Amino acid sequence: MAILKVEHLNKHFGGLQATYDVNFEMKSGELSAIIGPNGAGKSTFFNLLTGYHKADSGRVIFQGKNITNWAPHKIVRLGIARAFQVSNIYPAITTYENVRQAILTKQKRTLNLFIPAGRMAKEETTELLEITGLSSFSNIIAGKLSQGDKKRLELAIALGCKPELLFLDEPTAGMSGEETLETMELVKRLNQKLGLTILFTEHDMPVVFGYAEHLTVLHLGSIIAQGRPEEVRKNEMVQKIYLGEEA
Amino acid sequence: MDASMIFAQFMSGLSRGMMLFLIASGLSLIFGVMNILNFAHAALWLVGAYFCYTFWYLMQGTALGLWLSIILAAIALAAVGWIIEVVLIRRVYNRELSEQLLLTYALVLVIDDLIKIVWGVEDKLIERPPVVADPVFIFGAPLDSYFVFVIIVGFGVAIGLWWFLKKTRYGHIIRASVYSREMVSALGIPIPRIYTGVFAMGIFIAGLAGAIQAPVGSITLGMDMAVIIQAFCVVVIGGLGSLLGTFVASLVVGEVYAFSILFWPEGALVLIFIVTALVLIIRPWGLFGTPVRT
Amino acid sequence: MNRYSWLGLIFIATLILPHVIGEFWIHVAIEILIFGLFAVSFNMLFGYMGQLSFGHAAYFGVGAYATGLLMLKTSVPLPVCLVFSMVAAGVAALIFGYFCVRLTGIYFAILTMAFGQLIYYIIFQWYSFTGGDNGLQGIVPPGWLLNVKNYYYFTIFIVTAALIVMWFISESPFGYTMRAIRDNTERTRFIGINVRKYMLINFVVAGMFAGLAGGLLGPFTRSIAPDLCNWQQSGVPVFMTVIGGPLGFFGPIIGSVIYTFLFAFITGFTEYWPLTIGLVIIFVVLYMPGGILGLVHEKMDFFKFKHLTNDIDKGLEKET
Repeated sequence: MAILKVEHLNKHFGGLQATYDVNFEMKSGELSAIIGPNGAGKSTFFNLLTGYHKADSGRVIFQGKNITNWAPHKIVRLGIARAFQVSNIYPAITTYENVRQAILTKQKRTLNLFIPAGRMAKEETTELLEITGLSSFSNIIAGKLSQGDKKRLELAIALGCKPELLFLDEPTAGMSGEETLETMELVKRLNQKLGLTILFTEHDMPVVFGYAEHLTVLHLGSIIAQGRPEEVRKNEMVQKIYLGEEA
Repeated sequence: MDASMIFAQFMSGLSRGMMLFLIASGLSLIFGVMNILNFAHAALWLVGAYFCYTFWYLMQGTALGLWLSIILAAIALAAVGWIIEVVLIRRVYNRELSEQLLLTYALVLVIDDLIKIVWGVEDKLIERPPVVADPVFIFGAPLDSYFVFVIIVGFGVAIGLWWFLKKTRYGHIIRASVYSREMVSALGIPIPRIYTGVFAMGIFIAGLAGAIQAPVGSITLGMDMAVIIQAFCVVVIGGLGSLLGTFVASLVVGEVYAFSILFWPEGALVLIFIVTALVLIIRPWGLFGTPVRT
Repeated sequence: MNRYSWLGLIFIATLILPHVIGEFWIHVAIEILIFGLFAVSFNMLFGYMGQLSFGHAAYFGVGAYATGLLMLKTSVPLPVCLVFSMVAAGVAALIFGYFCVRLTGIYFAILTMAFGQLIYYIIFQWYSFTGGDNGLQGIVPPGWLLNVKNYYYFTIFIVTAALIVMWFISESPFGYTMRAIRDNTERTRFIGINVRKYMLINFVVAGMFAGLAGGLLGPFTRSIAPDLCNWQQSGVPVFMTVIGGPLGFFGPIIGSVIYTFLFAFITGFTEYWPLTIGLVIIFVVLYMPGGILGLVHEKMDFFKFKHLTNDIDKGLEKET
């Protein structure tokens, strides 16, 4: 069952065609990756799907609803969350408060003007911090975290939105080998245990081939190959354009 | 109401627009290059008017003295601007917007009181030199010849600025620094020096505007309050940072004033406010500004 | 001694105050309270939401005129007038705020200023209703509040109640969300918040409390003028907040104390108040960006209020 359908998506910036006639589908519960050289249009693609940019033409359909060009907050409320490539956290508050903010929003309690937030969502927040391995940083001001921990917080915030579809933009960027493994194992667990549909983009090839069930390759804004990772690997054009440097 | 009367109103509006342009152009230039909205621009303009009065007075009130005073006042004010930039403005380049606004806002208070201390509270009057005492007749309509002078100066400054920014090396450097401070620095040109120069230039024009304003009516305390609001409106309508926009908007606002006197005297300012508010709501970057995400 | 004990002590001190100071200083104290409330309402936009409004006095003025007109032309009791003030200011804030929250940064500042001036001109020109530039004269508080000490206690009561409400708002999920909007607007959009809607709600609430402060002013000074709405007046809460420190709840109140005392002191022997406050603000902006609270936080561990510390850390994080 397709949770996400993208049809003939187009976007240009000035003279640059960043996304060209992209057709894409994701099944519920899938763990997929989208790769491509720098400038291929991966981030633009995420931006189009999450309402950050307006598409020139084409459709984005989520769970049967046409969400093309919807405002970002409406898309999030529908069940799509996003972890940004450059960690987009709240630097001035604690890790705990960062995660709690997302959870309270999901719980629709943010229009509450009169009850102190201090006691709210304690369990859910602590749980999420544990799952993402951030418990020991609970009371640290998020701006002071290391790059890798900020990425993990980024993931925790996205999870706090309780999404059904999760976009991860380079989730392991800036992480050590051990942190990478921890993060990707977590991603796999979330996918398998909670049935979260996850689409991630990465430059780290072992991560891609180690975890993705389905692979899409972007080049200059168009999809040039998609399918099971082993098959895509063998695709000549892909090898020439992208993997060729590493083959 | 006949054609020559309409023409006279039109020219009056043109002159008023040019005055506004002289004030607003410096504001727009400073914002366009340095991204700082100088609340104190009109206060400095007023200082320019007072400088002109003092220089004229010192030259024993001669006609030649007035023309000299205008230039001296502009130069003197540019020097003041230079000092202000180096001592104060430079420290808030990289600070938050609110801190920059507060600084220039506080500067208004300081400057206005300093004016009071130095020049006192009485109005100052400059006698018109004979060469502009009589009206000139264009198309049969009598026009205040000083207004014509203002229009000429306005055009002169507009063309001068355009030529400076488009055709000279310095102008190119300034425009380049708007696009990329890093590149200009990397080429070995210090950004603070550019900014100080631009600020001083903007204040020079303000001084020129103030000095030219001086012989029109009298110089009064608090004149700058009404002017700064109009200047803001002009700069917003035309587009923050766009000199062409400032020019067009100044003329439009000047004409609105000129013609509203005929129908609805108090309404001019309200009308301009409404237009400014509309511009901010519908198209915040104004007529000629570059579209930004607000 | 924790922070609540300190607050309790200060509150008791304010209750005892009128019995130990002269009548002039009771007037000063009332002024501090009214403008303190005004400044705290401003800080909802500045310190919490992160936007600088140069037109907040418009809602202060609307509140003042609402109470003033009701007291002069009807026999509505003062507490009810104050409610009307809040509603009137809230409505004005809703109308103008709808447009203002579509902008941020410098455009927000200019538009709020433009709307503020618009309200000023409307009140100024509408002679038949508002008395134009003559303002409203002879606004007399009800009998039981004629004694300035009583008015002081009345003001303490209202202002304290308002501050408690605003405190709860700042501690609520809404309050945290507003600070989140300041901290990282984009992220807030991407966790599902309609930022514009929240900013409008905040703008209206801030306007309502400004209106309440304005309503308290009329019967106190016995007359009000359109000047209460102009952009110079809008600068007053800004200055108070900046001096006291925008990043803590009580910053604007500390600012109000300092500003009002300074004003009373300076105008006692010179007319050059604008020069003085201008220099003070320049000094604060250049050397004390966190205001008094920022200074205290840095230098004196003793005075750390936990909630305030958090807020100050927020701001200082941003500035470094």
